[in-house]
Amino acid sequence: MNGKKGKIWEENVIIETITRLMVPFIQIYALYVMVGTEGAGGGFQGGVVFAASIVLFTVTFGISKGRKRLPESWNAALNSLGLYLYAGVGLLCIVLSLGAAQYLNYAALPLSQIMSPAHTRALMISDVVEVGIGLTVMSIFASIFFDLAWKGEGEKNKNKNKGEKEVQE
Amino acid sequence: MKPISAVALLFVAVLGILFIYVSMDIPDFGDPCSPANRYVNLHISIDAGADGLEDSLRAGIIPDELSSRIKARGFPSPLETEYTIEEVEGGWDVLIAMEELLYPEPEKYYFLKEEGNKLVVYRYSIPVRWEEKCEEEIGVPNMVTAGLADYRGYDTLGETTVIFTAGIAVILLLRRRGKL
Repeated sequence: MNGKKGKIWEENVIIETITRLMVPFIQIYALYVMVGTEGAGGGFQGGVVFAASIVLFTVTFGISKGRKRLPESWNAALNSLGLYLYAGVGLLCIVLSLGAAQYLNYAALPLSQIMSPAHTRALMISDVVEVGIGLTVMSIFASIFFDLAWKGEGEKNKNKNKGEKEVQE
Repeated sequence: MKPISAVALLFVAVLGILFIYVSMDIPDFGDPCSPANRYVNLHISIDAGADGLEDSLRAGIIPDELSSRIKARGFPSPLETEYTIEEVEGGWDVLIAMEELLYPEPEKYYFLKEEGNKLVVYRYSIPVRWEEKCEEEIGVPNMVTAGLADYRGYDTLGETTVIFTAGIAVILLLRRRGKL
């Protein structure tokens, strides 16, 4: 089905060059959307844009090269790291204020004795919470994409055999 | 035409009429008097005909009758906490210091207004505090982000958990290799 060479995708110089040029800029834009609170956007949007850059790279260069850029172990670690960051900051607020503050009350961190409480909240929101959300969303979306699109090395032959058998029958 | 498609058409028409009605019913954006944005009627009232009511309100004292009625409804009563009264257009603002860890300053809580012969109590809703104190409390120029991660932090944590759970479910159901 996939041609005589058995390739799933075909190499195309134009698409590969454009992708090589675009992916870094998409990722920088994703970080700009994710970190910082001045403009529109946030963790969810930035994470999705970041995942879109990974999807674009994988569509262009093939799934094994794409998986090499975002290995499965990293993906599995990042999945939960973002959520741990978010929930951990909330727990840290309780622990470091010795139970005086509520869960997720960022201003109760000891950092607020150096800066004002308002700036502590702003720093926690823009640099920890949003990044945590972004990491989780990015790696989950990439993981879903890879799981749906994967055709592993072991399965390739099986499918080929199946196809040949069907043709023979 | 099948009978089921006639029923479906009827449902679509009713839904369309409902949407048009709802969109006509929404108050204008930023309307200061829209009840959904500004304050909620608590249905607590006393007679405004008594002598010296305005004077006592101007002097910063809420009548005991009103305070006890507010207390009977379970809201923070002016009898127990310190409060100040500010005269604004159309009524009086009652500022109450809530027992918060880092922001002990009084905030707008009740709004007293004369309607006919009665003095009615309104309670300011949360968007008022959100609009007026967001920058002071959180230091973020973007109100939406401040609401997303701070005022509604639990909500966002739950949303992130939902996405995480969806990803784990896809991994468990659709991953086609043995090793994780």
